Amino acid sequence: MDEKNLQNRFYDTPYGRKILKCIQCGTCSASCPLTGLMEHGPREIFALIRDGDMEPALRSETPWYCVSCYQCIARCPQEIPVIDLMYCLKRMSIEYDLVPDSHKIPDLYRAFSQVVGHHGRISEAMVMAHYGMLHPLDALKNISVALELLKRKRLEILPQQIIGRRWVAQLSDREKVRKYIK
Amino acid sequence: MKYGFFPGCSYSSAAGYRESIDAINRLFGIQLVEIPDWNCCGATALFSLNEFKALALTGRLFALSQASGFREIVTVCNACYTTLRKANQILSNNPEIVSKINEDLSKEGLSLEGEFSVRHYLDVLYNDVPEETWSENLTERLKDYEVACYYGCQFTRPWGDIDHMEQPTILDRFIERLGFLPVDHSARTICCGASHAISYAKECRLLISRIIREVRAKGGRVITTICPLCQFNLDSGQKGISNPIPVPFFTQLAGLALGINASELGLDKLLVPINRILSRKL
Repeated sequence: MDEKNLQNRFYDTPYGRKILKCIQCGTCSASCPLTGLMEHGPREIFALIRDGDMEPALRSETPWYCVSCYQCIARCPQEIPVIDLMYCLKRMSIEYDLVPDSHKIPDLYRAFSQVVGHHGRISEAMVMAHYGMLHPLDALKNISVALELLKRKRLEILPQQIIGRRWVAQLSDREKVRKYIK
Repeated sequence: MKYGFFPGCSYSSAAGYRESIDAINRLFGIQLVEIPDWNCCGATALFSLNEFKALALTGRLFALSQASGFREIVTVCNACYTTLRKANQILSNNPEIVSKINEDLSKEGLSLEGEFSVRHYLDVLYNDVPEETWSENLTERLKDYEVACYYGCQFTRPWGDIDHMEQPTILDRFIERLGFLPVDHSARTICCGASHAISYAKECRLLISRIIREVRAKGGRVITTICPLCQFNLDSGQKGISNPIPVPFFTQLAGLALGINASELGLDKLLVPINRILSRKL
């Protein structure tokens, strides 16, 4: 893996070069609700990228823990769009096949995306069914709440089908478009 | 008052959200016209996996809205709200992407051009329904009923234009207008864990209990929310806690203040029951 190439690829994304303004104050890491679960907080991820240690940055679980709460963006004194950079790292890790196997969120997002692809809309139950095939324990933990929802007529098993679902399904994966995004 | 309406996937199974919004709309003559054949906005999942797909999905939504004559789209979910606004911003700065999406959309006879205004239903109720209309229709039974307002993350952030990013007040002002007593607390925009609560339940439970503890300490008797996922996490995340705090939608509280019968507001769909508290107080 050519680290320098990967670093340039990152810098060429819409907000990539913004991390050059990072003063390593750690406000992002301190503001993150799930920072305690991360091996490296966002501040350290930016340090890794600037040092050219791209593989550990892309293999990191940090971007997958990001819940997009935007607290870090609200507080960053350098106005770095931390969340957008986390999105960028997630997509790059998919592109270079560096998604951390240990993390469960990639499976959850893929389950979500599959249901959207099949039906055009999601139902929580259907996302859980797809995700639960890979992580049955997580699905089991939700059975009691599912029963509560059923009792209150709130459990929709099948998502509502839309007419345009074929259109949604055939959406081409033209990831190359990324390079146009300003 | 007539708007294009994007309900989002969680709307129909949310606890009495639809019932209470329908009841308020009937009373005030607000028309929310559902965008025909709308699709999922993609939320954070699609943006994490494939940006073009995410933008094409939202692009289709905007095109459908445009085809039905609406440039203004009302949402009832924080994730939909921020996702659509984010996509709108990217699309309006990137005509190359719009033309690629339009190539795809032409297969459905749709096309996308121009910008859209995406709004939250709270914004509509607070800013478009005149204050006098509210005061004329309110009952006075709810005075001094302490309500903690929970905004979640993706309503004020990342833009902070509708309100302050970390210390918003619009929902508190709305709740006060209804006659309730908003309690001051510091958990208004603390994250509930969102969909991570499925995969990392134990860890997100800590986030949820931090919010509940803060509200309890400040004397909140209910927590009101403006997003189906926030509502679900706070409502279901209190399992096993003694004296759990009910988590009605802001529209359910508005319905009560307007004197709409509790049975029409879907309050029986909440996991933590609210009826006992209401009957004692009202």
